[in-house]
Amino acid sequence: MAEEVKPARPPADPNSAKYKLEQIVRKHYREVQEAKERGEKIGWCASNFPQEIFQTLGIKVCYPENQAAAIAARGGGQRLCEIAESEGYSNDICAYARISLAYSKVKEAPEQDMPLPDFVLCCNNICNCMIKWYENLAKTLNIPMIFIDIPFNPDYTVSDAQVEYVKAQFLDAIRQLEEITGKKWSEERFREVMAISNRTSRAWLEATSYCRYKPSPLNGFDLLNHMAVAVCARGTVEAAEAFETLVEEYKKAVAEGSSTFRGEQKHRIMFEGIACWPHLRTTFTALKNRGINMVATIYADAFGFIYDDFDGLIRAYCNVPNAINLELARDRRIKIAKDTGAEGILVHVNRSCKLWSGFMNEMSRQIGETCEIPVTSFDGDQADPRNFSAAQYETRVQALAEIMEANKGGI
Amino acid sequence: MAVQELLNKFHDIAANPGKQMEAYLKAGKRVVLCAPVYTPEEIVHAMGAVPMGAWGADTELQLSKKYFPAFICSIMQSILELGIKGTYDGASAIIIPSLCDSLKCLGENWKYAVPDITFIPMVHPQNRAGEAGRAFTKAGYQRVIKTLEKLFATTYDDAALWGSIRIYNEHNAVMREVSALLAEHPEISACARSDIFKSAMFMLKEEHTALVKDLIEALKRSPAGETKVKVLISGIIADSHSLNSIFDDLGIQIVADDVAAQSRQYRTDAPEAETALDSLVLKFSGMGNCSLLFDVDKKRADLIVKTAQETGARGVIVILTKFCDPEEFDYVIIKSRCEEAGLPVTLVEVDRQMVNYEQARTIIETFKDMI
Ligand code: SF4
Ligand code: SF4
Repeated sequence: MAEEVKPARPPADPNSAKYKLEQIVRKHYREVQEAKERGEKIGWCASNFPQEIFQTLGIKVCYPENQAAAIAARGGGQRLCEIAESEGYSNDICAYARISLAYSKVKEAPEQDMPLPDFVLCCNNICNCMIKWYENLAKTLNIPMIFIDIPFNPDYTVSDAQVEYVKAQFLDAIRQLEEITGKKWSEERFREVMAISNRTSRAWLEATSYCRYKPSPLNGFDLLNHMAVAVCARGTVEAAEAFETLVEEYKKAVAEGSSTFRGEQKHRIMFEGIACWPHLRTTFTALKNRGINMVATIYADAFGFIYDDFDGLIRAYCNVPNAINLELARDRRIKIAKDTGAEGILVHVNRSCKLWSGFMNEMSRQIGETCEIPVTSFDGDQADPRNFSAAQYETRVQALAEIMEANKGGI
Repeated sequence: MAVQELLNKFHDIAANPGKQMEAYLKAGKRVVLCAPVYTPEEIVHAMGAVPMGAWGADTELQLSKKYFPAFICSIMQSILELGIKGTYDGASAIIIPSLCDSLKCLGENWKYAVPDITFIPMVHPQNRAGEAGRAFTKAGYQRVIKTLEKLFATTYDDAALWGSIRIYNEHNAVMREVSALLAEHPEISACARSDIFKSAMFMLKEEHTALVKDLIEALKRSPAGETKVKVLISGIIADSHSLNSIFDDLGIQIVADDVAAQSRQYRTDAPEAETALDSLVLKFSGMGNCSLLFDVDKKRADLIVKTAQETGARGVIVILTKFCDPEEFDYVIIKSRCEEAGLPVTLVEVDRQMVNYEQARTIIETFKDMI
């Protein structure tokens, strides 16, 4: 679910949030590499695995989902997907998984390298595909897999039984990691990490909430870039500070009436799903040309983990977007759409992601009805460039723009 | 009864689930649909209803398209299609586990697509063997019980569950026995073998056990036919008549299976425990060797190899349901494990809307010539 795209341009003002955020991602990859070189055991980690565990233990990990997104955005998606396919993986499998499994075989990708893991940390609160992907990594690399099972919750609220189940696994994961790495758990450090994570999450959520202003001070696609930091560095002070800087910048932009979205913001939409990384420019340009800014995405919420205590932490991880039922997922989106004044919804029917796309039709229908806004979808894929048609995308976006225009009494 | 007569019976039931359901409803029974893969059928049975397997059908998809995108497996699509079309009308509820991503989506869509048949979620833990996993399984079962109690206005009785567990354990045993016995009888066609397994989904297990026992007796009395080429099949379902006919046409005998709708259902019994519900919990925590159950060591691949070797299968045919990602991931490991063991393996992709089996035939034919 998580991803990151680094622009190739040289970084700008070192005091800017953009610069700081870019540096965090760079540092993140560098630190894992250095830890590996020092002989420390490092892991590969699922985007929504409770990061508090390894942050507290001082263990370095990197994120295959971020890596796959970066590889896809820089043009390597198809190459790696094809390597996986030659190994026998079906081209219907999630492209992140295919890219990652291919990387674990070829062990290098100029688009984004990452050290090989000594263990994998899996959490299926975003999908069960994750379990299979990490099982195969663990099996083929012959390394341990630590797995916190957070089942999809068919109910509106998280049951105590689920909290107990996840809690026990959380503690078990700590024990397993202590054994593998020789590092020791510290309650004091855990409290610190929780505090920092909350601070980062609050700043992230505040920054994303600036989308509600008209015009929005940010180009919504910016969030897709910044999210990598929310994923990989949530438990670090640098991340908290960088997001706080971002908040300051947005505050200033609102006061000045400026925005990182270039041009007039004629329409405001909710974008549903993961970005099409291999076609980011095409997907963005079609929107921008029509003055459409993305002001709402459930992604913004996805990495805002706010909690008061250990139980709250567990509940937060049980409540991530892909782990919740249709009604809760719908209501959260309705709130976001209303708060930001979204005038239409553009749904990415993502060939890679069965869970995200499997009940999206019904859910977006309900959201559209409740908010009285049009819903349009297009077929794509977050990382396999072959599953996207620019022509279809153009047509759909145009249709959405026309309805939004008509709703405003235009045309 | 003679073997053929019994096989006709199995076929009739396997081919007419609607007739079965109607008969049960007419007899005043309630029917609860059980979606793949591991629903706690014993609970439904203990509460006086007939658990009926709902694994979809080979039918054209129209109505399900409103809910599912095209890249969701045809089992999920066709269950929803049948639900919307009214084929399941009369059933009181459907229990849908969420062991794969597509199953999660079936449950969510079901609530809106088929509102008249109550959706009962069954959430299984993946870390199922430990104490926390067992407690969570129990909570899941209790939730199913509570919904059924409300729906049927009855109360759950642990003693009744013991009765059902015994029936299910016995059924498991006869299914294992018949599967082993069929391996010694090449004259029983792949189509007939499929019917024997498939019919179990649409009958009360005590009735199916009785029928299977008759078959076992009849088979023991009848001489084994001419030897065919022995294979093991693996996958989620393998009930297509067109597919099984290919095996029969080519003189291939299925001597064992690792199919979710077939033998995977019958490997694990509910053991002794303090209460019947605990026994059922232990049954689930003891399950494994399945693409839908967390299996970091991929013991499933080892089991496939071991079973093939024990039954004298000369090759493994993976029957992959298109868009089934749990199986797609496992295939790569199964393939390499089989190759390591010198066991030929091939892949046949199928789905429930398939009309043209020519490609499947070619693959299987080539494979037969190779082994
Ligand atoms: S299946 Fe979906 S949620 Fe899972 S890793 Fe792939 S894109 Fe992410
Ligand atoms: S396990 Fe495979 S065949 Fe079964 S519902 Fe899931 S995707 Fe479909």
